[in-house]
Amino acid sequence: MAFLNMFSRDKDQPTAPTADDRLSLVLSYQRSEIDEAKLKQFRIRLIELCDDFGFDVVGQVEVRPQSRGGDRTTVLCASIPVRVKQKN
Amino acid sequence: MKHESVAITITSGKGGVGKSTTVASVGLGLAQLGKKVCLVDTDIGLRKLDLMLGLENRIVYDLVDVIEGTGKLRQALVRHKEYPGLALLPAAQTRYKEEVTPAQVKQVVDELRNEFDYILIDSPAGIEGGFRNAIAAADRAILVVNPEIPSVRDSDRVIGLLEAADLKQIDLIVNRVQPGMVRDGDMLSVERVQNHLAINLLGIVPEDKRIIRSSNTGEPVILDQKSLAGKAFSNIARRINGEEVPFLELEENGLISRIKRLFHIASALN
Repeated sequence: MAFLNMFSRDKDQPTAPTADDRLSLVLSYQRSEIDEAKLKQFRIRLIELCDDFGFDVVGQVEVRPQSRGGDRTTVLCASIPVRVKQKN
Repeated sequence: MKHESVAITITSGKGGVGKSTTVASVGLGLAQLGKKVCLVDTDIGLRKLDLMLGLENRIVYDLVDVIEGTGKLRQALVRHKEYPGLALLPAAQTRYKEEVTPAQVKQVVDELRNEFDYILIDSPAGIEGGFRNAIAAADRAILVVNPEIPSVRDSDRVIGLLEAADLKQIDLIVNRVQPGMVRDGDMLSVERVQNHLAINLLGIVPEDKRIIRSSNTGEPVILDQKSLAGKAFSNIARRINGEEVPFLELEENGLISRIKRLFHIASALN
């Protein structure tokens, strides 16, 4: 069984599945000079902001930069799973 | 009356994308249309355009000589054998790009405007001093890009620099396109490259083995009647000259290619 598992072992997932997605990611980072530390800070602030507006963050907050054609800007797409805070 | 001329810098983010090939072929294309064209090689230390045009044995003076006053501009211009309307101002091969300033290049190009309709400036790769020399005198720029992520990323930076230098018209040539690879999802499509860079598409040039031969023989691919890349460069020259020319159909639609596609046989264009 272990022998078979060698072949079915998951490979590392690429950061973006297609060349186009990857280019979008590369350009968005370059255009806005985003680094991982900055994105982490941003995620923390988003969680604080949710708290201020009465939401509980109940999962992983994801911030994904995407390049936008036309005006050559970066769009930050945030995915924040939340639930309305229970009133005591 | 002042002579109307246009100075165009042909540039790229990284080297090896086919910039000098483009300059040589488009320059010849404009000369074939009856225009007076001067190609200025600003890649000081690494000149290449003379080889592309088969003029390497006829160089006496170069751009640095003209700037320093050791040679006159008229003496430095090398005329093409078959198209006397096409001239080359070669780069110096044994000097350093730091010896030339953007203001000096601008002065030379402004002098060329008296005689030529089009001045095509071949820019060195990268975004250092040589690049600034190449854009100093330009009215517009053409960016040559390969449909690969590194090339597009570097080009995106160059667009930012060109915009910062207040160059209003920046056009795009996507070079070395392989329709089979695009179809299989292994190469970025021209549409996606243009969409990301968000500049006007001036031309699409397919990968073509004949380009290697033409570089080695000193006869730009535009002179090869059978070459699809040559046809693409010819169309680009006509578009620069103000004609409306439809883009080439790069996909093969013959029976053989349809059979190949049916059996998923990768088909190179040549």
